[in-house]
Amino acid sequence: MTSRARPTASSAASNSKPLRARAQPIAVYALLILGVIIVIVPLMWAAAASFTPNHKVFEYAYPFSWRALFPVDFTLEAYDNLFDRGFGRAVGNTFFLAIATVIIGGAVNALAGFAFGRFEFRGKNALFLTIVMLTFMVPVDLTAIPRYILVNNFGWINTWQGLLVPGLANSLVIFLFRQFFAEIPQELIDAARVDGATWLRVLISIILPISKPVLVAAALLMFISQWNAFFWPLLIAPTKEMRVVQVEISLAIGQYGTVWNELLAGSMIAAIVPILLVIPFQRYYVQAITGTGLE
Amino acid sequence: MMPARQQIIPYLFLLPALFLLVVFNLMPTIATLFESMFVISLRSGERVFAGFANYNRIFNDPIFWKSFQVTVVFSLLVNPIQIALALGLAVLINQRAPGIGIFRSIYLLPIAVSLNVTAIVWGLMLDQNSGMVNGILLQLGVARQPFLHSVDQALWSIILIASWIGVPLWSLFILAGLQNIPPPVLEAAKIDGANAWQSFTKITLPLLRRVLAFVLVADTVANFLMFAPILLLTSGGPQLSTNLIMYETYRRGFLYGDLGASAAMLSVMLLIVFIIVGIELYALRGRD
Amino acid sequence: MLPRKPMLVTMLLGILLMLLVPASAQDEPTTITWLTLGWPADYIIEEFEARNPDINVEAEQVGFNDLFAQIQVRLGAGSEVPDVISVDVPLVSGYALRNWLLPLDPVFTGDEVEDWLPAAVNAGSYEGTLYAAPVSTSTQLLFYNKGCFDRAGLMPPDADDRLTWEEIAEIAPQLTFDDDGDGTPDVWGFIWEQMVRIYQLQALPESLGGDAIGEDGLTVDGVINSPEWIEAFTYYYNMFNIWNAAPQGEEFWPADIFETGNICMFVGGPWNIGRFANNPDLGVEWGVSRHPYFADGEPATPTGSWHIGVNANTENIDAATRFVHFISTGEGAELWWRRPGGGDFPAQQSVLAMFATEAEFDELPMSYMRTAADEATVNPRPRAVTVGFLEYEQILQNTFQDIRNGADVEESLNLAVQRIDSEMAKYR
Repeated sequence: MTSRARPTASSAASNSKPLRARAQPIAVYALLILGVIIVIVPLMWAAAASFTPNHKVFEYAYPFSWRALFPVDFTLEAYDNLFDRGFGRAVGNTFFLAIATVIIGGAVNALAGFAFGRFEFRGKNALFLTIVMLTFMVPVDLTAIPRYILVNNFGWINTWQGLLVPGLANSLVIFLFRQFFAEIPQELIDAARVDGATWLRVLISIILPISKPVLVAAALLMFISQWNAFFWPLLIAPTKEMRVVQVEISLAIGQYGTVWNELLAGSMIAAIVPILLVIPFQRYYVQAITGTGLE
Repeated sequence: MMPARQQIIPYLFLLPALFLLVVFNLMPTIATLFESMFVISLRSGERVFAGFANYNRIFNDPIFWKSFQVTVVFSLLVNPIQIALALGLAVLINQRAPGIGIFRSIYLLPIAVSLNVTAIVWGLMLDQNSGMVNGILLQLGVARQPFLHSVDQALWSIILIASWIGVPLWSLFILAGLQNIPPPVLEAAKIDGANAWQSFTKITLPLLRRVLAFVLVADTVANFLMFAPILLLTSGGPQLSTNLIMYETYRRGFLYGDLGASAAMLSVMLLIVFIIVGIELYALRGRD
Repeated sequence: MLPRKPMLVTMLLGILLMLLVPASAQDEPTTITWLTLGWPADYIIEEFEARNPDINVEAEQVGFNDLFAQIQVRLGAGSEVPDVISVDVPLVSGYALRNWLLPLDPVFTGDEVEDWLPAAVNAGSYEGTLYAAPVSTSTQLLFYNKGCFDRAGLMPPDADDRLTWEEIAEIAPQLTFDDDGDGTPDVWGFIWEQMVRIYQLQALPESLGGDAIGEDGLTVDGVINSPEWIEAFTYYYNMFNIWNAAPQGEEFWPADIFETGNICMFVGGPWNIGRFANNPDLGVEWGVSRHPYFADGEPATPTGSWHIGVNANTENIDAATRFVHFISTGEGAELWWRRPGGGDFPAQQSVLAMFATEAEFDELPMSYMRTAADEATVNPRPRAVTVGFLEYEQILQNTFQDIRNGADVEESLNLAVQRIDSEMAKYR
C-alpha cells in the first residue's frame, strides 16, 4: 500500500482536491452536531424542567415536543425552595473546599508527578506501583469504614479538615502529571539546569508554563472530584452548616416521593459552577493551537 | 551540584503526596482487605480469624459468579467503546475549523455534571412511561422501549450513561496529548506524501502512546470502580443483568453489613484489575 | 466494635494525634446529633429545646436511600455520633443484634409503653428488650378517583367497604383508558403506592394464609416460594402484564399522577389524606375505602413505620434519651404528629384517639383519618422479624420489580430464595 500511496496522492491532488475539501468539513460538522445533540438535549431538558412546576416536569417529554427543552411554564419555585433550605450555603461550602483542593492538592500532586516523571531514584517503580497505582484502583467509598475510624480518632468529624485533607492527594492526578511531564523534551530542562536553576524552579518556570492543557485537565479533575463528592461528606459532615452541594441535592429524594424540579434545579446549579470555570480555560487549547501553528 | 542532595530531592517532592496517600488511602485499603480474613459472629458479636472462609463462601456463591460474568461483559464492551469514541472526538475537536471553540466548550459540559446527576437525568430520559427518549421514538413511529427494565437493554443503558461522561472526559486528555504533538512533525509526514490515515496511525498514535496508556488504564479502572448508576437506577436488576461486582461489594458491605464477604470480593477484584492494568501498561510501555 | 483498628492505623494515629490535636471546647448546653430523614424536623427540635434549654439538637438529615449505609458505616465503626437515630422499624433486630442501639426499657414508664400500639412495641423490641421507641406507625387504604367510576358506569365503594382483590381485578381494567390510542393507557386502573416494596406487598400472600418468613427468622425456602406466594404474585404479575391495568417501568409515587387524574385507584398510606385534602388545585374527586383482601382469605393490612433509637456508644446518654422520650410519648408525640408538612400516623393510642375527638376530623375528607385509625387497629400485619431484614427487603424489591416488568413468577421467587439464602448464611 505504501508504495502505491505516493502516485495516488499526487494524482488525486489535481482532480479531486476541491471535492474533498468541501466534503470533509461537511462530514466533520455533521459529526460535531450529532455529538452536540446527544450532549445538549438531556441538559436542556433538565434545565427546562428545573424551571417548571413539579407536576409538569414530564409534561412535554412524552410524547416529545420542543416545549420539553424550554421552560414554557416558567417558575422559580424549585430554586426558591432550594435556597430557602440553605442551598446557597452548601454552594459556598463546596466551592471553598473545591478551590482549596485544587490549590493545595494541585501543588502536592504536581510535585509527586514531577518526581515520578523526571527523576531516576531507588524504589521509584515500587513506590509508584504499591502506593499510587494501588490506591488508584480501590474505590474510596468501599474503604470508608477504616478511614472513618481514623478521621474520627483525629477528632475531625464535622470539621473542614475532615472534608478536605483525605482528598488532597489524588493518585489519578499524580499519574496524569507523570505521563505528561515525562513527554517534555530534556533539552529544555538541561538548559535551565545549566543556568543554575533549582529543581523547584525548573518545575515552576519551565515545566508548568508549557503544560497548560494538562494543568487545566488536572485542575478540573480535582475540582470536580471535590465538587461532586457525596458519600464521604455525608459521613464526615452531615450537619446543616457543613452540607455540601451533592448532599443537599440528595435531600430532594424523600421517602414519599421525589421533588423532581428541586432535584434538577440543584443539579443544574451543581453543573453550572464547574462549567463557568471550564469555559474560560477552554481558551488555553485554542492558544496552544494557534501559538504552535505560527511557529 | 552535590550528588547526595540530588538523590534526596525526588523523595522530598514525593513526601507530601505519598504521606497523604498512605494515611488516607493505603492504610484504609489494607485494613479493609484485612477484614476479608475475619468473620464477625453475629450471635456473639465476636470477631474471629477465619482464614479463607469468606473467600470460600463467595467462590461457592452463584450470585458472585453471576456478577463476575456481568462485570466481564460490561468491561469488554464499555472500555473499547469509550476509548474509540474518545479518540475520535479528540481528533474531531482538534481540527482547525471555524467555530470549533464553541463545539469544544459544549463537549466539555458533561464532565461538569456529576455521575449521580447524570444517572438521575438519564434515568428520567430513559423512563419507560414518560421518558423523553420514548417520547421521541413515539414521534418516529418506533415502539416504546423498556431500556433499564429489560434484561437485554439495561446493561447497554448503563454503558450509555457511563459513556456520556466518560467519552468527553477521556477525550479531554487525548486532546491535551494531541496538542503536545509539534505541527512540524505532521507537516513533515505530509510532505513525505502520507495521507491522513497513514499519518494518524504512523505518526500521531505512536506519539500519543503515553496519553493513551493513561487513558486506557484510568478508563479501565474507572469502569471497574463504577457503581453509582447501578445503585441509583437498577439495584443490579432486572434479574441481576446489571449486577456489577463493585455494586455487589458495596451492597454486601454497606447495606447488609457483611464486611468479610465484601472485603473478599474487593480483594479478588483488585487482583484482577491489577493484572489487567499491568498487561495494559506492558502493552503500551515505552521504548525508553 | 467492628472492625477492630489494625495496629498500623493505631500507631500512625498516635503520631498524627500529637501533631493535630483538635481544639474541643466544651460548650455550656449539651449538643446531640440526630440522624434522620429530610422531613421537616426544625419544628420539633425548637419545641424540644424550648422545654430543655440545657440541650441542643442538631439534625443530620439524609435522603431515604442514604440512611441505611450511613448507619452501617458510622455505627459499624463504633462512632459516638450520631447520638439519636431514626430507625425504619424492621431494622431494629439487625441493629440490636450488632449492639448498635441502647436498650430503652428504663427510659419509659409502664403506662407509656402501654400507650403505644402493641404491634409497634413488638416491632421495636428484640428478644424482649425495647431498642427503638415507636414514633409513628402506618396503615393502608384504597384511594380512588370518583370520576373514573362515573366514566366506567360503576359505583365507587364506601369508606367502610372492603373490596376483594378479585373485585379489584375486575374493576381495574374497566378504569384503564387509552385516550390517545397509542396502545398505552393514559389513565391507569390501579397500582400499589410502594409498588415493589415488601411493606405493602406482603399483605397479598398473608391474606391467603402465607407467611413472610420462616419461624427461625432466617428461612425463606418453602415460605416465599410457597403456593400462597406464587398465587399472590401471579395476581400481581397479571395486574401489570395480563390485565394491563397498572403501569410497568420505573418506581414512582402514584399520588403524583392520582392528582392529575392519570391513575384511578391505588392502595396507599393515610399520609395521602392530608395531602389531597390540603391541595387547593386538586381537580379530582376522591374517596377512600378499606384495604382489599382475597375472597378466599382473610383481611391483612400492612403496618409499621419509623421508630427512634439511641446510639449505644453515645457520650450523651441522658440528653439523647430525653429527646427520644420527648418525641415518642405524650405532648412531644402529639407535636410530631401535628408538625407542619407532617402527615405521619401516630403510634400512641392517646394521640390516635384525637382522631375521634378533634373537630377537624368530623367532616370529609379529613374524617377518612378515622377510617385509617380504625384500620390500623383491626388487622395490622407488621413486616417480617428477622435480623437480615435489609437483605430480605432489598432482594425482594428487585424480585417484585422483575415480576412487575414481566419476569416469570415462580422463577423469580426461586431466584430470590437463592439470593436471600446466600445472605442469611452469615447469621447461621
